[in-house]
Amino acid sequence: MAIPISQMWTVATYVLKNRLAGRKRYPLVLMLEPLFRCNLACAGCGKIQYPPHILKKALTPEQCFAAAEECGAPMVSIPGGEPLLHPQIVEIVNGLVARKKYIYLCTNALELKRRLPEFTPSKYLTFSVHLDGQREHHDMSVCREGGYEIAVEGIREAVKRGFRVTTNATFFDGADPGSIRGFFDEVMDMGVEGIVLSPGYSYEKAPDQNHFMGRARARRLFRAVLSNRKRTWKFNMSPLFLEFLMGDRTYECTPWGSPCFNIFGWQKPCYLLQDGYTETFQELLDTTKWEEYGVASGNPKCANCMVSCGYEPTAVMDGFGSLGGFLGMVRGSFKSYRAP
Amino acid sequence: MSTEGLKYTLDQVEAMELAPGAEHLKLEGWVPPIAGDDDLRMALEKAFDYRGDVTLTLKSGERIEAYIFNRVTGSTLADSFVQYFTPKAPDKRRASYAEIARLEFTGKDRAAGKNWEEWVRKYNERKAAGEKGIALTPEALD
Repeated sequence: MAIPISQMWTVATYVLKNRLAGRKRYPLVLMLEPLFRCNLACAGCGKIQYPPHILKKALTPEQCFAAAEECGAPMVSIPGGEPLLHPQIVEIVNGLVARKKYIYLCTNALELKRRLPEFTPSKYLTFSVHLDGQREHHDMSVCREGGYEIAVEGIREAVKRGFRVTTNATFFDGADPGSIRGFFDEVMDMGVEGIVLSPGYSYEKAPDQNHFMGRARARRLFRAVLSNRKRTWKFNMSPLFLEFLMGDRTYECTPWGSPCFNIFGWQKPCYLLQDGYTETFQELLDTTKWEEYGVASGNPKCANCMVSCGYEPTAVMDGFGSLGGFLGMVRGSFKSYRAP
Repeated sequence: MSTEGLKYTLDQVEAMELAPGAEHLKLEGWVPPIAGDDDLRMALEKAFDYRGDVTLTLKSGERIEAYIFNRVTGSTLADSFVQYFTPKAPDKRRASYAEIARLEFTGKDRAAGKNWEEWVRKYNERKAAGEKGIALTPEALD
């Protein structure tokens, strides 16, 4: 696992404290969407289809800090839209770093190289660069020829300047396991700290409705990709979540583990579904009918979901919240997962 | 495929090869007939799910262009409300279901009209014509 010890320690103690306090539901990662505007129009994304007056809106830094403090999660992921289009993104990042939140700023990196001088390297700040695969695959995925090249330039510059950098990839039906493994080699050669990956969620508003993998297919893909893994590959994820993707573990979704806050409020029930909004985080916890979500509920909107924002909190809470989970996590960090 | 009322068993979920894509409802331009409370509730539910502006006409006669991002439903129209942004006001607003007389899907549906196959077809055509730097770009904001 590629996550620094200080971050692991922060998360582990946070999970243990919540368990000891008997809290049934608590957040691990705040998904902070400061705006929906983007400079890409990816076929598999259902996040940015809004009227212009909505796309022009953005959270203020004060709203971002209030949300981070209100929910109390030790980690903050900043997706979007494209966060680097937010005029006050540097102020937002600096304010969250000052609050000792571990930030993953998710970016397509089209603006990264140009904006890097405005940021200061910190153990609390990671640029999580959207890269869906090797050059041709990524360019088709983000519907922009040359997107890969620009993102890679941004990654290399960020690594050179001493920033923590990960890549995050979303995979859809038709992804080639051999190409994905080649992609892992490429990104590790760029000097990134680790890789983040997830199958795509079937956003109802995404332009492409025909390439979202079901669970059976997703598991076959991830088993092919993650078996016999190379020692050089580092993943910025829980090994237990990777075992879940391969079909070696059964987990339920933890939607409150990655609560989402944006210009509309706190999103019910999770980062991916939009079943309404609340004004406060506590109201989100108290009024969401959690039993209506997750695969066990039979809800068709959750049927194909194996996405990290729902299942990685489950894996992390398992890993730091039980002896069996902890041992599994340690074992998984060193195992190559030989194919049978 | 309509997923309304549909529930999957765990076995079905685990055996699923491809996720059934959502059917895109063509609502742009629609003016739902509202003969009673249930019609209004159904229409506002669709408006909540719509990725475009709608026009609300209140019983007072006021007309509001709005992007509805939330709805909270209670047992009566009086304790149910929608939350919305208008193109000109910066703050969130709300209207009780009981105040609403008419709803029109007047704004462009921002989730309609693009698909992967169309992008691949256009890409291949433009590539064959020797074009470089081919991209889908987000719509202009102004």
